[in-house]
Amino acid sequence: MAKNRPVNQTINHKTTRSGRPAHTLIFTLLLLCTNILPAAAGDKTVIVGLYENPPKIFTDASGKPSGIFIDIIENIAKKENWKLHYVSGTWSDGLNRLEKGEIDLMPDVAYTATRAEIFEFHKIPVLSSWYNVYAPRGNRIKSILDLDEKRILVLERSVQQEAFARLSKGFGLNISLIPIADYNTMFTMVAAGEADAAITNRFYGIMNAKKFGLEDTAVIFEPSDLFFASAKGDPKHLLKTIDGHLAVLKKDTQSAYYSSIKRWTAEEVRFNVPSWLKISVLIISVILLTSLAGSFVLKHHLNLRTRELQTALQQFTNIVEFLPDATFVVDQDNKIIAWNQACEAMTGVKKEMLLGKGDFAYAEPFFGERRPILIDLLNLPEKEIEETYKYIQRKGDRLYAESYIPRLRGGQGAHLWGVAAPLYDHNGRRCGAIETVRDVTEQKQMEEALRASEREYRELMMLANSIILRWSRDGKITFLNEFGLRFFGYTEAEIIGRHVVGTIVPENETTGRDLRQLIEEICTNPKKYERNINENMLSNGESVWIDWTNKAVLDDTGRMKEVLSIGSDITDRKQAEEQIRRLNDDLRRHAEILEQRVNERTAELAAAMEKAQAADRIKSAFLATMSHELRTPLNSIIGFTGIMLQGLAGPMNEEQNKQLTMVQNSSRHLLSLINDVLDISKIEAGQLDLSMSSFDLRESIEKMVKLVSPLAERKGIDLKIDNPEDISTIITDQRRIEQIIINLLNNAIKFTEKGQVCVTCLNKNDLYLLSVSDTGIGIQPDKIPELFQPFHQIDTGLSRKHEGTGLGLSICKKLLDMMGGTIEVKSIWGQGSTFTISIPKQPGGLS
Amino acid sequence: MNGTLLVIEDNEQNFYMMRFLLEKHGFTIIGAENGRLGIEMALRHKPRAILLDIQLPEMDGYAVAAELKKHDELADIPIIAVTSYAMVGDREQILTAGATGYIEKPINPETFVDEIIHYLPDKERGEIR
Repeated sequence: MAKNRPVNQTINHKTTRSGRPAHTLIFTLLLLCTNILPAAAGDKTVIVGLYENPPKIFTDASGKPSGIFIDIIENIAKKENWKLHYVSGTWSDGLNRLEKGEIDLMPDVAYTATRAEIFEFHKIPVLSSWYNVYAPRGNRIKSILDLDEKRILVLERSVQQEAFARLSKGFGLNISLIPIADYNTMFTMVAAGEADAAITNRFYGIMNAKKFGLEDTAVIFEPSDLFFASAKGDPKHLLKTIDGHLAVLKKDTQSAYYSSIKRWTAEEVRFNVPSWLKISVLIISVILLTSLAGSFVLKHHLNLRTRELQTALQQFTNIVEFLPDATFVVDQDNKIIAWNQACEAMTGVKKEMLLGKGDFAYAEPFFGERRPILIDLLNLPEKEIEETYKYIQRKGDRLYAESYIPRLRGGQGAHLWGVAAPLYDHNGRRCGAIETVRDVTEQKQMEEALRASEREYRELMMLANSIILRWSRDGKITFLNEFGLRFFGYTEAEIIGRHVVGTIVPENETTGRDLRQLIEEICTNPKKYERNINENMLSNGESVWIDWTNKAVLDDTGRMKEVLSIGSDITDRKQAEEQIRRLNDDLRRHAEILEQRVNERTAELAAAMEKAQAADRIKSAFLATMSHELRTPLNSIIGFTGIMLQGLAGPMNEEQNKQLTMVQNSSRHLLSLINDVLDISKIEAGQLDLSMSSFDLRESIEKMVKLVSPLAERKGIDLKIDNPEDISTIITDQRRIEQIIINLLNNAIKFTEKGQVCVTCLNKNDLYLLSVSDTGIGIQPDKIPELFQPFHQIDTGLSRKHEGTGLGLSICKKLLDMMGGTIEVKSIWGQGSTFTISIPKQPGGLS
Repeated sequence: MNGTLLVIEDNEQNFYMMRFLLEKHGFTIIGAENGRLGIEMALRHKPRAILLDIQLPEMDGYAVAAELKKHDELADIPIIAVTSYAMVGDREQILTAGATGYIEKPINPETFVDEIIHYLPDKERGEIR
């Protein structure tokens, strides 16, 4: 066979056309075979739908697919090495099959938007057609209006059925449109007067109307383009190829395309031939016809039988395809004759790969190898099956088995439940077998999950470290878990069915609460007692406290059946709470006592303070009085002494003058003593208030130096002052600062016999530093700490040679403390001392 | 230059000393031994200045100063407190009550008269310290 030779079906077609009827039978048989069995191997197989709509597509008298669409697709198949396989049926069958993917191409499909949603179309139309209404000759149908009240036949599930219904409705016509499976029947019916008219496409009409005594009417509608349609997505990639060929075929007017159209639509060509020739031809024809008649009759019977078989097989295939479970069928030779879609879906292996194959081919998609499976065990004797294959159940002649197949479900494994049964022919002979397999994996998984969940639930209930209790509406215990039984000290037999009150619930709580009533309330309204703490009792009568969670258990009708109570023992917590409460009470009592004591003590202190304040007031009054009373006589003494010494009361001699001067000095000393004592008393009583004002410190220093300069001059002491420009404003008590300065200056001059006294002032950040240094007797180091104590004048060993109260430095220190300043001293015994004070420029030492 | 000064003072020796010193400088001194009498005399004699002790029987110096200030005809007469109260605040208190000046006891006889003159308004200094 030549390499590019088309396969058997095409050969068959050609030979038929060549008009060699003798071979037709053989080729028809061949055709039958190829129609049933797909090509064993090799090039692309294309399954084409076939239906009766001559001249576009039809089965010719010899049972062979014919027509324009067939010519074209066979032309393309020849060039593409496609193996064509036809599946015949009605138009509607064809569309259904295409939708289900049972066929690859459906010819003669008019493009509509609705169809484009389900099918795929190529781009170049094969034919353009329109629809025509045909009626018996002599009809008076001039327009669509004449079709009112008429019975019109139309092809079932066709474009024209929809289009004409729409058209007639648009004209408001009452037409009964009767769907019929094929054109041939339609024309037959109209010819027989069973209908008034029929709608066909123009091709069919042209070719067949005359034959049925029908003629075309003026009603023409719905011009459309006709195509091959494929399943959605064009899974076999046919459409583009078809377009490619159509483009070439349509360009060339001598091409197979045009010759096919011409052949199927053009009127017969008539020739004028000589009469002798006519006679010769007639004689030859008669002889030929006579010789052919027998083979025609034979061929006709064979065709009829073949078509019956085809239909039966088709029905059988349809039934198997319809089954939702994976099903396959073998014939008596164990060759696969059906492998349904569910089988394809389960194993991923298409029927085309398996049909016609024997030798355990059906096992391979499941097990990955060819080996006997359930369907093969049908042949074994019953006894052997029972003994050897314990997992197989047998009912009558059927076998049932469950198996796990790891390859399936994309390698995840599947649990299958299978049934196999033998098939018998009408004589009761074994003619094959059928096996159906169901994937029960999910069911298995669900069962397993359910079992696991039940097990978990049971474990949870029995082993939980909580009391789990169920009791009916009348208070009877229906369930108590292991923990609960141990906790309360009962066995299941002792407690189930008994009332909760009197067993695990006492009649009354120790707090006095009526627990029988509580139980009734929980039964009526568990929601309200969702969380409840109450006293319970153990079988030995011991009291416990339990924190319960209560929930209603409803029956199928939604009515409360039982109460589910889950409890935790909180006796320890209760006892701890009680302990805490007792401790709190104690604490509160103690706190009260303590508070009372504090109040008493506070009252005492208040009284004491009142007393102290009274004493203070008395002291203040005493100080004020003393101040006045001591000064008044001194006023006279000092005043009159002054008057006398001034000579205002008359002249005095030298001795009188000398003695009166002594009186004056003594009285001045007494005055300063009084002043100092008053000052220190006031400071210590906290009664000395500072009077703050802003003033120039430089001026104050100079003023004080000037005041003491006569004294220094008299002792021959050099009084120096180092008072730089940057000493200026200060806010403090001027009088007290001056008192401090003069005190330091007086001391320095007093304790210095010769040499100098020097005043130095420094401006340092927030402070002024003022030093008074002398070249006097100095201070012994061990005396320095006592220096600022009141009533302390350092014993110089000269037995109070130096007059003074001994209060001056003590007052200075206390005043400086109040002002936020400091005082310190550096001294070398016998060489001199330096007193340095620091005073903040503003109160609080803030700049 | 000279004129009448009113001295309100209950201590006889102090009054004597002040009168002695002031008369030596040519002032005429009238005296009152308590506040009530002092106010009467001030209203009657309209002195050039009033020297006022604080510690007085019955009505003290603060009350006397406040009372004196209530009389418009006495408004221009300086009141000079002469007191042995040396507590902090004494000075402020008497100045608030209406005194023009303050002299602390014991007085210094060498400077006392000058200090009094210092407070008199008709000297050219005019202002009051």
